Amino acid sequence: MAKSTKTLYRSYIIEEYNLTEEPYYLPVNDEVELFEAAYKQRIPVIFKGPTGCGKTRFIEYMSYKIGVPLTKVKKQDNKSQNNIPLVTIACHEDLTASDLVGRYLLEGDKTVWIDGPLTRAVKAGGICYLDEIVEARKDTTVIIHPLTDHRRILPVEKKGELLEAAEGFLLVLSYNPGYQSALKDLKQSTRQRFISVEFDYPSRDAEAEIIKHESGLDIQTSTQLAKLGEKVRNLKEHGLQEGSSTRLLIYAGKLISQGIKPRRACQVAINWAVTDDISIQKSISELISSIFE
Amino acid sequence: MNKKEISNTTLKSIRSKLQNYPDSLKDNFEISIKFVSEIFSVEETKLWALIGLKIAQVTTRSWESSLEYYKATPDIIKYLPFNYIIQWGESGLDLSNQSPTLASSYFKASKNTIKKLRSRHIDSWALTGKSLYNGTWKSSTLACQFFEHSPALVKSLTFPQIEKFTSVLKNISDNSFDIASDSLSISTTIFPIIGKSNEEFINLLPNVIKLNLRELKGFLESCSKSLNKIDSNQRINFIKIIIKLMENGELNIPNHITEMANNLNEINKEEHESILELATTLEGTTPIFFINSTPKAFEKLTNTQLIKWVETGKKIYKTNVEGGVAFFKIESSYSEQVIENLSSSIELSKIKEIMELYCRGLAGSEIKLENTGDLVEKNIGWVSNESPSTEGSTVYLPAVTDRYTSKIDNFNWYKVVSTHQVAHVEFGSFQFNFSKPSNLFKDLRYTLEEKKLNNDENYKSQTWLTDIQRFFNMFTDRQLSLDIFTVVEDGRLDERIKYEYPGVKNPYIKIQTDTLKRRKPIQELPAREALVELIIRIGLQELKSIPVPKKHKKSATDIVSIAKQVFDYSANIEDVAEATLRIYAIISQISNENIDQDDWDNIDIDDINEEYNDSNNMDELIDNISQNPDMSELNDDEEYTPSEQVDYRGDFKPELSQLLNELRSQGDMSDENNKDSNLTQQMLEEMFQSSAEIDVNSNVSEMQNASGKFANNILKETGVNINQQDYGDGVPSHIDEDGGSLDPNEPQTFVYDEWDFRAGDYKPRWCIVHQKEMPEGDPNFYSTTLHSYKPLVQRIQRQFEMMVPEMFRKVRKLDDGEDFDIDDVIEAMIDIKTGNSPNEKFYWRRNKVQRDVAVALLLDTSASTAEAIDDSKKPGDDWDAPDDPVKYMEWLKNRKSEGSRRNYKRIIDVEKESIVLLINALESIGDMYGIYGFSGYGRENVEFYNIKDLNENFSDNIKQRIDRISPLHATRMGPAIRHTITKLKKAEARTKLLFLISDGRPQDRGYSREGVEKEYAVHDTKMALDEAKQEDINAFCLTVDKSGHDYLKTMCEDIGYEVLDDIHALPERLLYLYRRLTM
Repeated sequence: MAKSTKTLYRSYIIEEYNLTEEPYYLPVNDEVELFEAAYKQRIPVIFKGPTGCGKTRFIEYMSYKIGVPLTKVKKQDNKSQNNIPLVTIACHEDLTASDLVGRYLLEGDKTVWIDGPLTRAVKAGGICYLDEIVEARKDTTVIIHPLTDHRRILPVEKKGELLEAAEGFLLVLSYNPGYQSALKDLKQSTRQRFISVEFDYPSRDAEAEIIKHESGLDIQTSTQLAKLGEKVRNLKEHGLQEGSSTRLLIYAGKLISQGIKPRRACQVAINWAVTDDISIQKSISELISSIFE
Repeated sequence: MNKKEISNTTLKSIRSKLQNYPDSLKDNFEISIKFVSEIFSVEETKLWALIGLKIAQVTTRSWESSLEYYKATPDIIKYLPFNYIIQWGESGLDLSNQSPTLASSYFKASKNTIKKLRSRHIDSWALTGKSLYNGTWKSSTLACQFFEHSPALVKSLTFPQIEKFTSVLKNISDNSFDIASDSLSISTTIFPIIGKSNEEFINLLPNVIKLNLRELKGFLESCSKSLNKIDSNQRINFIKIIIKLMENGELNIPNHITEMANNLNEINKEEHESILELATTLEGTTPIFFINSTPKAFEKLTNTQLIKWVETGKKIYKTNVEGGVAFFKIESSYSEQVIENLSSSIELSKIKEIMELYCRGLAGSEIKLENTGDLVEKNIGWVSNESPSTEGSTVYLPAVTDRYTSKIDNFNWYKVVSTHQVAHVEFGSFQFNFSKPSNLFKDLRYTLEEKKLNNDENYKSQTWLTDIQRFFNMFTDRQLSLDIFTVVEDGRLDERIKYEYPGVKNPYIKIQTDTLKRRKPIQELPAREALVELIIRIGLQELKSIPVPKKHKKSATDIVSIAKQVFDYSANIEDVAEATLRIYAIISQISNENIDQDDWDNIDIDDINEEYNDSNNMDELIDNISQNPDMSELNDDEEYTPSEQVDYRGDFKPELSQLLNELRSQGDMSDENNKDSNLTQQMLEEMFQSSAEIDVNSNVSEMQNASGKFANNILKETGVNINQQDYGDGVPSHIDEDGGSLDPNEPQTFVYDEWDFRAGDYKPRWCIVHQKEMPEGDPNFYSTTLHSYKPLVQRIQRQFEMMVPEMFRKVRKLDDGEDFDIDDVIEAMIDIKTGNSPNEKFYWRRNKVQRDVAVALLLDTSASTAEAIDDSKKPGDDWDAPDDPVKYMEWLKNRKSEGSRRNYKRIIDVEKESIVLLINALESIGDMYGIYGFSGYGRENVEFYNIKDLNENFSDNIKQRIDRISPLHATRMGPAIRHTITKLKKAEARTKLLFLISDGRPQDRGYSREGVEKEYAVHDTKMALDEAKQEDINAFCLTVDKSGHDYLKTMCEDIGYEVLDDIHALPERLLYLYRRLTM
């Protein structure tokens, strides 16, 4: 009988999960300054932008970036405690308010209150990042209202409590406008509690830099990938719903750096990923074969 | 037969007289009379019996005919009334007077013939048979045969045709009864095979007879055996071809028929029509060989390719009959080669869709792909049907390419060519900016311009419309400067493409190499042309030993180093201009003389490595070319002819294209103080006359004519209205829009405000909307549309049905239901334990969740939707409604009459079809929906048609209304949208949707004219859509705009918006969007 098990995995409680290394992020615009300013004033932020353009990476980067200087000033020795926890919640259509706030559970014949992730972020003073907020149920948007104005409180109805947000807390949403169902649009009352930072795909050179960093490719191939990304995005609205994201370009880059032939890598990572329409696939194929040998 | 005779006779006496004949006659009489007396009166029966007797009495053998008469009667009386029976009998009597055998055959055949024959023709039928009889034994056989075959003949021929056929037989029988008899029996088997073209066949028979009577039998026999191998509709055409061959004296026809039919049999019957059509165009004996070769040819060729192959064969046949025959037999290697080439050829139409998207991807703008022929038809200066080209928004490619023997190579050719054409757009060929500094050279443009101003009196008066024109104005020999410019620019693009797109590099180099091989030896050119050719060669990567005239070697070296400098991926269009200027300065000093074979020397491009620096005499050269006339006109010159085009680069017209682009953007923008708005047609004409891009060979007066036409067409093409008075002082006046607010006095009229973007405020009570019910038309439109879109309907049905189960979702948190939800129960338990008030709604039920959607479809029924969707040649500006009411009515009338003659599909037709499909789908999911059309003329006359109101139920009336949707007047979108908003506001639904389907051009009197008016309309529309948003109505615009007249697009950033490139996709797209938007 084994006395102890070897831990095969690492797990963290969300308040303690801190990034130990600085995530790579290449600023495209003034988003870093904007976010820093917003954070200082605790203004909630909405990120708007197409999929795979770096919204999630940006929030990771910012939580690290904002966290680090704070620790340096306060406590030199134990910096991880003062980092800003980042709680990311991917919203889906069955996500209810109590999934965010918390609920009582039965344990034996007792009941135990378990905090939801939002509550924990509020208590810990972290950044709570609600990804794709429009997907969540309507009741979720209501509970974030008092958190996002001057009150900064989270009503915990079941417990009859009002939870005051800790100093560092900030709510950040991401939101993908454009081809959304008309039924799933943010209400004005919600929208107008946030500032909106727009994200778009980076410029060719910046994107090449990102691809190079993420995939370890040389700058030349990275530029070719970025060029391809740009060309494929040109096809948007000609039957293509979304252009190829930076993420896909990076995937292609990673495949190439693993020795897959560039044309093949782009085929699987970009062409077949963005569309099922055969004639568009053919056109993209031609673009790929023009750009890569 | 007189009455007396009848009355004097009794049945008894007839019976007794019949006793005189063999018993069988009496027996048959007794059997039949039972039937006859049942139906007819005694008198009538008597008459009938008497006729039989009379027949028997004609000759000794005629009792046999009589027997047949009686025998046939029971069957005949089923089909004929009494008087016709008598007629029938009397005709028989008449025949038996001629020959009893004839009468017998007649009666025997009667039963089956009369079944099909009209009663009134019985008489003539007997006569027709009789006409074949002339008293001889042979003729009697023929006539009998005719009667015997009659049952079969009446099945496949009408009676007049039978008569005609008989007269043909009669003709034949004049020569030979045997042939006639054979023809009759064989033809009887042919008629059912030929079917509906029998008449034609019968008409053709005399030709065959005339040509060769002896062949007739063989001809007919082989036809009857072989025709069924040919597509049933084409059999007659096949016969025509055969007859044509006979006319040409071809022998051995039956064999040919069999062989040709067998070969056709190997080919899909659907192809027979086109093959035979082709065969009829062929001369001599070639149709035989052609048809016999088709199975082989079809192995490799498609239908269109086959046509090309035949055309080639025809040409050969004209000059060399035997060669032509061998060609069609595919017994010449040339023929095989043509097939090889054709089969590997690629047609633009097959790859258009892919290449168009490819080009759009590269350029990042709305590039269209068209056939080169279309550009020529526009008549704006392009003339070559073969050369690829672009004018900045459309890439023109040849309809087919067969340069290479493999499909891949041909496809690569298309790819390289389109990449090169798009590169003009992508890398800025048309963006030349006179004042932008170049990258690689010192800017001498300004110096030259300054010197020109000082030295050349004529130059001062020159004007320009575009920067590129300003540049070319500086050169006296415009053709030369244009040539250098295009050659250098094309070379630059080639380098840029190879740098940016390494993937196409290999095919690119291959094509460049092949192009090089085809070029004329440089030594055949006079000096100047040789030096221009030199630049082309460098561009095409010929880097070793290019011949140059010895005495110009220094100049050549300079040119090479300039070219090498500019053929670089980092060069831009301004660099090209600088390079052009320098090369021009050098070449214009050289006289265009022929060079002796020995006076050439080779230079290696690779050896010239030093970076180019302007030499000391460059100033002097520039001085020279700034003189007027400059030094370029030297004596002993060969006339300078432009260099031979590099075919993959095609036709590059920088001046025209830049002009077009600028005019277009001018047409799109509505800058109030546009500096170019004082552009006149005359200025354009001047430009064309000076431009070297337009065919210089035409004589002067023609040229003036043509340039006028070009100018006109160009203006149409770009939609620019020149010399608009309205621009005036920059404050636009709103024509015919004076006056104040309006009041709706009639019932069913509504008044709405309109947004004036200049004032930044609404014009109060500005537009009157007249709501009308759409009149009703044919309900069948609905079902025929559904039928013609069957596969799509089925697919949509499935997709929409998939939305339905969602309506029967498991609903949680109910007071009562099928069962309790364990999660909710636990939660309630916990609540109780923790002292909270529990949520008692812990039941679930499969419930019908109401989809709470109301959608209003607003259909643009303006006159512009009458445009044919496949017809891109209509000038773009004729949709603009004239201001003058009288002219307007005229314009409208034209529009309408256009519509009534149409046999093409219009935008509105597709709109209607989409509506039908959408209704069909919506009915299955039960959303609330309304369909409205709008149009109008002027602000006081906005027509708003109810096709289906929101709370109206779907019915046949609505089907009928859909049919009547038709293009009306102009488009004033704002008020129509506002009226729809009013309707939607009243509807009770959680989700409200406004779907606007238009062709993207708000236009109305005083609402949409070029310039500011258009902007007014767009702003108002946009504002109306914003109003919808404020009312929590989701607006979505779907624009079907094939010609790029879409003004709304730029304004609709935060409004759901989509432009449909291909109007045919509208039905499918509409449903798709609907699903997406409401899920």
